[in-house]
Amino acid sequence: MLRVATDVGGTFTDLVYFEIDQSTGKALKIKTAKSDTTPSSYEKGVFDTVNKAEVDISKSIFFAHGTTVVINSITERKGVLTGLITTKGFRDSIEIARGDRPDFFNLRYQKPKPFVARYLRAEVSGRIDFLGKELYPLDLSNLDSILDDFKKHEVKSIAVCLIHSYANFSHEEKVVNHIKNYWPEIDVVASHQITREWREYERTNTTSLCAYIKPIARNYLDKLNKKLIESNFKGNPYVMQSNGGIDTFESTKNIPLTMIESGPTSGVLGAAELGKLINENNIITLDVGGTTAKCSLIENGNVKINTNYWIEKNRLSAGYPVMLPVVDIVEIGNGGGSIAWVDDYNKLHVGPQSAGADPGPVSYGKGGKSITTTDANLITNRINQKFFCGGTIEADMKSVNKNIESLSKKLKFSDEETARGIIRIANNNMINALKLVSVNKGYDPREFTLVAFGGGGGMHATSLAKELNIPKVIIPVNSSVFSAWGMLMSDLRRDYILTKLTTMNKEAKDVLNKTFAEMEIKASNSFKKENISKDLITFKRYGSFRYLGQDHSVEIPIENIDFDESSIEKIVHDFHNQYEKEFTYRLDSQVDMIQFHLVAFAKIDKPDLQERKKTNITLDKTIKEKRKVDFDQMGIHESCIYDFDLLEPDMEFNGPAIVEDSSTTVVIFPDQKCKVDNYANLHISIFGQNK
Amino acid sequence: MNQLNLDPITTEIIQSSLQAACDEMFVAMRKTAMSSIIYEVLDFGTAVTDSNGNIAASGAGIPAFIAMCDKAVQAVIKKYDSADIKDGDVFATNDPYNGGVTHLNDVIVVMPVFSQGERIAWTANIAHWPDLGGMAPGGISADAKEIFQEGLQLPVIQMINQGKPIQSVIDIITANSRVPQYTLGDMWAAIASIRVGEKRIKDIANKYGKDVFKESVQLFMNYGERASLDALSKLPHGTFHGEDLLDDGRKIQVEVTINDKEFIVDLRNNPEQDAGPNNASYDGTVVSAQMAFKGITSSDFVCNAGTFRPLKVICDEGSMFNPIRPAAQGIYYETDIRSYDLIWKTISHLNPDKSAAGSFASICGTFMGGQHPDTGATFIIIEPQVGGWGASSISDGCNANFSAFHGDTFNTPAEISEARHGVYVDQMRLTDEDGGEGKFRGGKGIVMDYRIRSSNAWVSVAYTRSKSLPWSLEGGNEGGSNYIEHIKKDGTINKYSVVTGLSLEPEDIIRIHTANGGGYGKPEERDKNLIEDDILNEYITPQQAKKYYNYGK
Repeated sequence: MLRVATDVGGTFTDLVYFEIDQSTGKALKIKTAKSDTTPSSYEKGVFDTVNKAEVDISKSIFFAHGTTVVINSITERKGVLTGLITTKGFRDSIEIARGDRPDFFNLRYQKPKPFVARYLRAEVSGRIDFLGKELYPLDLSNLDSILDDFKKHEVKSIAVCLIHSYANFSHEEKVVNHIKNYWPEIDVVASHQITREWREYERTNTTSLCAYIKPIARNYLDKLNKKLIESNFKGNPYVMQSNGGIDTFESTKNIPLTMIESGPTSGVLGAAELGKLINENNIITLDVGGTTAKCSLIENGNVKINTNYWIEKNRLSAGYPVMLPVVDIVEIGNGGGSIAWVDDYNKLHVGPQSAGADPGPVSYGKGGKSITTTDANLITNRINQKFFCGGTIEADMKSVNKNIESLSKKLKFSDEETARGIIRIANNNMINALKLVSVNKGYDPREFTLVAFGGGGGMHATSLAKELNIPKVIIPVNSSVFSAWGMLMSDLRRDYILTKLTTMNKEAKDVLNKTFAEMEIKASNSFKKENISKDLITFKRYGSFRYLGQDHSVEIPIENIDFDESSIEKIVHDFHNQYEKEFTYRLDSQVDMIQFHLVAFAKIDKPDLQERKKTNITLDKTIKEKRKVDFDQMGIHESCIYDFDLLEPDMEFNGPAIVEDSSTTVVIFPDQKCKVDNYANLHISIFGQNK
Repeated sequence: MNQLNLDPITTEIIQSSLQAACDEMFVAMRKTAMSSIIYEVLDFGTAVTDSNGNIAASGAGIPAFIAMCDKAVQAVIKKYDSADIKDGDVFATNDPYNGGVTHLNDVIVVMPVFSQGERIAWTANIAHWPDLGGMAPGGISADAKEIFQEGLQLPVIQMINQGKPIQSVIDIITANSRVPQYTLGDMWAAIASIRVGEKRIKDIANKYGKDVFKESVQLFMNYGERASLDALSKLPHGTFHGEDLLDDGRKIQVEVTINDKEFIVDLRNNPEQDAGPNNASYDGTVVSAQMAFKGITSSDFVCNAGTFRPLKVICDEGSMFNPIRPAAQGIYYETDIRSYDLIWKTISHLNPDKSAAGSFASICGTFMGGQHPDTGATFIIIEPQVGGWGASSISDGCNANFSAFHGDTFNTPAEISEARHGVYVDQMRLTDEDGGEGKFRGGKGIVMDYRIRSSNAWVSVAYTRSKSLPWSLEGGNEGGSNYIEHIKKDGTINKYSVVTGLSLEPEDIIRIHTANGGGYGKPEERDKNLIEDDILNEYITPQQAKKYYNYGK
């Protein structure tokens, strides 16, 4: 029996599978494979890896899939021609947007172009107010002619977003039903199916984006499903979602925009699942790839999500909002391929420009001339010059030494000093990102463990932890395919979010009881439709609260109980505490609940992970070699180089050391200690003492 | 100090940490503020200065707020003995004649940062507080004749003494606000924000040593200055004259002199100070000049006190750009944007890669208030409006964006406005009005309707560029006009660009119109495909196509 996960990335498609012992349910082996991503038809790349790994899909009982198909269709503008129907007076909402100009001094600033052109934006009369009351009835008399016009222009998908539909979606529903009757074959998405939050621009844009990619994403999942069936797959296929859970193909096809951050979230989820396995509940995750570093925070085993997510937003552009629950990830342009440069005033910077995969870092020898973080790690001997990329590429140190010279000259540094400087600045960039998810939100890094993965995680994690006073770093085994691993450990997850202004007074208990009950029924029904057993379903409740008049709210967990007056008081009490923790003061002011958030999980059978077997190999046999490694301010030291693939449980050693396998380098500083756990993950004590 | 062995990487890390601290202060304020003018409109800024009040780094939603907080810090240093400024103190000013720069609603709070007993820096926050008294709700009235009518003055006062709030000061603020719960919420948000910054700066100084910190800050300013001087050397040198008209027909003018070392903005010989609130303090005028200077020299570069060392601003005392106390200054922002726009009009052609025709160029500050019909609570709407930007030699202007004074500013969603303020927003769309036609046309302004639900509601506005329209370039048409219409229930319509405390009845509509930006190039040179595209998308009507572009029948 097999359990398979595939993750389509920008460059590679990864595959991880477990072989399961049918009698014990234990995972016998874990295997990985990689092949090139095939952008013209991603499902081909998926099956290329399946074939490469010689996986017999007919023996698989579980198939989870992460994909960039949605985000790529959006960033490459390859969605379908989309029409939009709004409330009368609001067809320009998607174009007016929020009016912001992040590029302050640019008189020629242009807004990001709306995904629906103005001639395909139509209006219907009828109005709901913010309490959900109907002010004017819906008038559908012009809808047929709108649809005829859309047909004439060859519209392929329609978005519907009406004012205050989060409070009452009956008008949206009527519009959708009318469209389905009049034009059954057209794809249509209404905003309430995606989110029940207020802010019309954000909701309209989200709905439009969803309509824009819906036919493409649906076709893709259908094609993949067909291939699975042809390969005699008998289980349920699942897709990784942006909220850190997986969901069925069927459910995903309705609102495929939920796949938008399919890739990055699975790594965070993997860290949370790993944490459960080895008893680490408070985790900061760090995923360092080629062009970016991403971090997130897990508190008490819970992955944090928020719905204030934007794409293509940066210092020069307003970007586009996506009002969906997305794992709260901070991403910065700082990875192994980030380019180091010196400005006109002889200051050194790293990133956000990246050398990408082609030409890549100078050391790849593919003609790159811009020194990158990876090149600096080679100069300091942290990355093995002789075992570069697992020995598949010979590090072109001649070019590296030649190209770093121009930087050194401007800085009046030796080349070694320049390399150290590049690493320190890259680290500082990542520290600022790690602060954004931790200290800036009132979390003390000393209470967390840093779990680092991706190609560059192990290279930088130990210095970052030291700066931030994080006592321990964990580098998971198979850390370069950690994201795909995360999917294998995932449960089904659906998030339901509803904006409903509720004053936290004595009457609140009834509102809370009623609203959560309704949300739970809705969630249960959606699982029931897919024949998912009731016993597998669990719920988690959250509420967003704020002081009267504030806009920003703080989300706190709420117990799964029947609320009475004292439990309402307790919630308010918890809010005051959480607020003060984050913002240094509290107010003696009315507390409002703004948003109800229900997370519904359906438990998926997961294998028990097999521990790494001990072969009684001695520690010195795991040492590949010794070499001189530059530890910056701690000096240059002759260091043992351990083979990650050979390390076994309970092995312990001190820095200075490097642990490497074909895709990962872990740097352990002279004052740090490393211990191998039962699954062969590395636990590095940053300040010497093992916990 | 020269003994310090400063390594450039450490310097770089300290400098980037300053920016990170300002950003963090900014986020803290945004999240905790009570008023939508702060958390949606982002009408606030944060800053770190050196121990003498020179700006080191700033975080701002508004470009105009980038270099404002330093003046307040300098006012505190001037007023208080160094020995009386202690760890944990918080000071405040809103006095435009004394460190407050703008108008009484913008309160700057500042606190010193100490490391090993020495004052090494300040953190500061400026934000628009919703109401501090004055003759009109929200503080801003076009009828004000003296600053005394515009609200409570906080003349560089101490609010917190070594961490302990001075209750009588807070009581005075509370008693003078029409919406004290909002004002106090915003006050605490501001204090939380500067405390966050203080903590970060302390951490940095403790880690690297206070002398290393101080020296890195000074080097950072030298870095800013070098970038500015470099840019000046690349600009054409000489003296450039520019003129513009105010809506009342009076002329304003400027002479800008650029050489290798200096950028001199001479605003002498301009109209005398206004009898009403259309005045901007000297410091405010300096900020306008700083924005224009920054835009033409190093728009995408760090911004600190060093950046502005080459800039000199000359104004006559007693003029609208440098009034004498007690002149009112409530609508300083329209005066500031006039001087900014004038300077830009004068110099933008010096850098052809950056120039564009004039934009709607008004804050279009809109103030509405009344009783919320559902909750009975007093509400005040304070918001700027979006409008059309000017066309350039390469493209049409941007539709519906905030003015150059605002930057990372967000409009209030209709759904939130209706819930919070108890008004209906019946429409928010791009305008069909004329203006800005050209080879490339100006961006479009908007039309937005507020339908009033409560009795005793009122509206105040003071828009400019209502009669003197956005300028065009190379034969394009001038842009449109900024104004409001009061559409009464009985159908009568009154038009205003400036009005204070206009009473409104339920079912009255306030319709806001903002201008199209100016056009670039002659309309007859416009590409036929662009005209057809505009007709298809209803950016212009077939009638407008015929009238301005001689297209169709």
